[in-house]
Formats: sequence, C-alpha cells, structure tokens
Amino acid sequence: MIQLYNVYKSYNNTPALVDVSFIIKKGAFVFVTGPSGAGKSTLLKLLYRWESFDKGQVLVNGINVGKLKFNKLWQLRRHIGVVFQDYKLLQAKTILENVAFALEIVGADKKTIRYKAWEALKNVGLSHRKDAYPMELSGGEQQRVAIARAMVNNPKILLADEPTGNLDPEMASEVLQLFEKANIEGTTIVFATHSENILHEGNHAVITLKRGKIADTRLVV
Amino acid sequence: MRILKTTFTNIKTNKQLFFASVGTITIALSILGLFLFVYINLNSVLSFWNNQVQLIVYLEDGISEGPKKQLENIFSTHTEIASFDFVSRERAWDNFQSMFSEKSTFIKGMGFNPLPASYNLAIKESSDRLAFIQNLAKKLSDHEGVESVEYGEDWINRFETFMILMRVFLFALGALLCLGAVFIIANTVKLSVLSRKDEIDLMLLIGGTPGFIKIPFFLEGIFHGLLGAFVSLGLMKGIHLYLVNQFQGSLESFGRGMEFQFISPPFIGLIVLVSIFVGWLGSFLSLQQFLGVYKKT
Ligand SMILES: Nc1ncnc2c1ncn2[C@@H]1O[C@H](COP(=O)(O)OP(=O)(O)OP(=O)(O)O)[C@@H](O)[C@H]1O
Ligand SMILES: [Mg+2]
Repeated sequence: MIQLYNVYKSYNNTPALVDVSFIIKKGAFVFVTGPSGAGKSTLLKLLYRWESFDKGQVLVNGINVGKLKFNKLWQLRRHIGVVFQDYKLLQAKTILENVAFALEIVGADKKTIRYKAWEALKNVGLSHRKDAYPMELSGGEQQRVAIARAMVNNPKILLADEPTGNLDPEMASEVLQLFEKANIEGTTIVFATHSENILHEGNHAVITLKRGKIADTRLVV
Repeated sequence: MRILKTTFTNIKTNKQLFFASVGTITIALSILGLFLFVYINLNSVLSFWNNQVQLIVYLEDGISEGPKKQLENIFSTHTEIASFDFVSRERAWDNFQSMFSEKSTFIKGMGFNPLPASYNLAIKESSDRLAFIQNLAKKLSDHEGVESVEYGEDWINRFETFMILMRVFLFALGALLCLGAVFIIANTVKLSVLSRKDEIDLMLLIGGTPGFIKIPFFLEGIFHGLLGAFVSLGLMKGIHLYLVNQFQGSLESFGRGMEFQFISPPFIGLIVLVSIFVGWLGSFLSLQQFLGVYKKT
C-alpha cells in the first residue's frame, strides 16, 4: 500500500529525511515515532504530497507520488484521510459543518452528508456538541473533530499526526481504539506519536526516526 | 447551490473591497458607455443628414435637348438614383425670388435671370453612397452641357473621417478601460483568495479538485463584472431618459424625426459579454498566480 525507496528530503539544504525506505502492507497499522524534529510530520506530508521530496521513490495506493501532477493530486488524496497535527479546522464553520465539508468536497449528496457527518461525530463522542464552533471546544475535542473528519470518507489509508498529543491518557487510549476499529475494518494506518504509552498499548510495528534517518524498526511482538 | 453560497460568503467577508471593485468597474463601463452613447447619436445625426444630401447638376445656359436626354438616360440607368427633378432657369428664378423677395427689393429690381438650370438628384441610401456620389459627380462634371456638380462634399468627408477617428478612439478607450477592469477584478479576487487561504489549503488537502475550488472565485469575478455592467447601463438609461425629457423639443426643431438613440441591444449584449469576460479573466489571472505557488512545491 505504501512503499518508500531511498527517499531524501531537505528544507532549504537542511535535511529532514535521509535515505528512508520501508514498505507498509495493505491493512497494516504502523507507528512512526522519534524525538521532536525527527521528521515524522515531514514523512506523512510526503505520503499525501503536501511536500515534495528530492530523491527516491514514493508509491501510495499504486500511485507514483513523485510524478503526480498538481491537477491530479485529488486522486491520491481522496483515498487518504489525514489527522493534521494542527487540526486545520475551519473556524467559521460548526464542527458538524467541518466534518460535512470533507463529504461536500468529494461531491456526496445532501442526505448522505447529513447522516455520515453526524455518525462520524458520534463515533468520536461529540454529537451533542455538533453546533459548536471549534473555538468553543478544548484542544482535545478539536482533535477528535479532526479525527472524525479524517475518517468520514472511509479512506483506504489513515495518516494521523500526533492525534493523541492533546489528550489525557484515558482519552488517548479511547482515540487509539477508534483507529484500532478502523484498522479492523480494513483501513491501513500510519500513526505518528512520541507517547510511550500509546506505543505500548497498541501492539503494532514501529518505525523510529532520528534526525531524518530510520534508527530502528520494530515488528509486532 | 453550495457554490453560490460560497461565492456570496466570499463577497460578504470582503464587502468594502467588493463595493470598491464594482464601483470602479461601473465607472469604467459608464465612461465607455457615454462615449458609445455620443457615438451612436452622432452616427444617427450623420445618417439623418446623409438622407438630405442631394446631388445638384448645374447646366450650361445654352444646353440643347440632346445632352439633356443623355443626362436623363444616365440618371435612369443608375438604380442608386431614387429620383431626379429638372429645375429650369425660370423655376429656379421663381424659387429664388419667392425666398428672398420680401427681404430684398434689389433682387426684384434685377432685370435678368442669373441662375442656371439644374437637375436635383435624390440618392438612395446605401453603405457606399458617398463613394457613389463622388464617382457620379466626377463623371457628370465632364459631361457635355454640364456647368458644375455640387454636393456637400467637404463636410460629409470631414464628418465621416471624424466618425472613423471616433470609432478608433472608442475601441482604444474600451480596450484600455477593460484592461483596467481586469486588473481591478484580479486584485479583488486575489485578496478574496488570500483571505481564504486556509480553506483552500484544506480543500486541496482533503481531495478537492482545482476546478471545484476555483468555481466560486470565477463566479465572484464574473459577478463583479456583470453587476458593474448593469449599474452602468442603468446609469446611462437614466441619462438617456433625462436628455429625451429635456431636449427632445430642441432636437425636433433641428431636424424633423430626429431623436436621442439609446445604446442598441447588440451593443448592450456586447457590454454584458465583455463584462463577463473581464470578470472571468480577472479571476483567472489571480487564481493562476495563486495556484502556481502550489504547483512549484
Ligand atoms: N516548512 C518547513 N520549512 C523548513 N523546515 C521545516 C519545515 N517543516 C519542518 N521543517 C524542519 O524539518 C525537520 C523535521 O520536522 P518535522 O515537522 O517533520 O518533525 P516532527 O518529527 O514532526 O517533530 P514534532 O514531533 O515536533 O512534530 C525539523 O528540523 C523542522 O525544523
Ligand atoms: Mg510533527
């Protein structure tokens, strides 16, 4: 599902990813970890082609990401749900509208939008606050809205950038369960985190980055 | 529907900008429209006067029947000549006297008739009428028995040249004003795009197609252009009505059957089409520039 071969990426001559290669199979659940600034976010951004890379090959869902034209990017991104580290919620919309937005963009019909958006909010335990605006929610709640939006289109791949970063351990573990559930239903998951607890709790493969290099890989124990 | 809503939200969030943009476009189109208005009315004056143009063939005093017959033959073979009227020396003198006798005893006292006989020709209206008149005049002035040929040559020529200049001027002015309007709209749409950068980013990130993202902005630009066009057309209609109300009487005394012309439907259509194009182009330019940034990374 996701294949990287000798990928290099630098921002203005400072390397962010160095010779990164790995394969993630369809339906897998993989953690990406490492200290702050190690390149976790950068790695995820390459997968949905928000950032370009300098060298190597990236294949996602059978698409050669490096060769993809701007006008065709949506073909890649419609199969990928992303939970952004900074959530990227639209402040002018209610949280229900925020989740619905992802459905509108792909041209779903009105009835489906209303039903699915509400379902997705319920799934993260926020349906009672559907008419609230992001500003009126706590960081953790906003994070859950972002998760709901990433999942609402039933993407083949879910990329989550620190989706538990703002949550207390109890809530973090609930959110992890959401991803576990999606994974059981067949979604391939790449989950960036530096929480040891999460790494222990979910018994999954781990890719550890250090200053842009793969320092360690752990297979399922 | 949702797209329309997005368009109007865009406009609402940038209200001042919207009014500035539509206002400038209105002014630009109004200036253009006023010149168009003047042009159309001058044109109608021209064609009105054109209808009055007569070709007068003055005959030599001693002309015999032969050349006169030949002349009349020439007149009747040209289908462009609507009618011709022979004015004998005596009739010309009578006309002249009846026009001036009350004012001048001198004329009455004149013992001889100084006026030549003539043919007055009415020429049918057509696009190359002036060329026809010029040709005919040249041909006739060389004809046996013809003293001279007269028509309002000079000022018709000058007026036509003026109208051609006016047309060139209008075209240049129109192009210039449209260019200005394009830049104004491009700028407004650019600010509108920038103020929604986060939303556009997100749309791109969750799989929106570039077309889907661009549509509201195209609609916004086109809406600016169209609204400017309609406001300026309304303004011009107002001016037209005012002129008709205030000056129709004095225009009638100037020439019977003359009236103020409003910009004709084809021109109105053209203005609307141009405004749509201008709006589209303005949006296109700023979107091209904005999305170009994404293409590079
Ligand atoms: N847009 C950017 N421009 C320049 N440098 C950047 C940019 N984004 C990231 N970097 C640099 O690239 C390196 C990797 O950043 P990245 O955000 O991938 O780290 P991370 O592992 O996600 O860190 P964190 O755990 O803090 O989120 C860092 O040194 C960072 O300063
Ligand atoms: Mg990060």
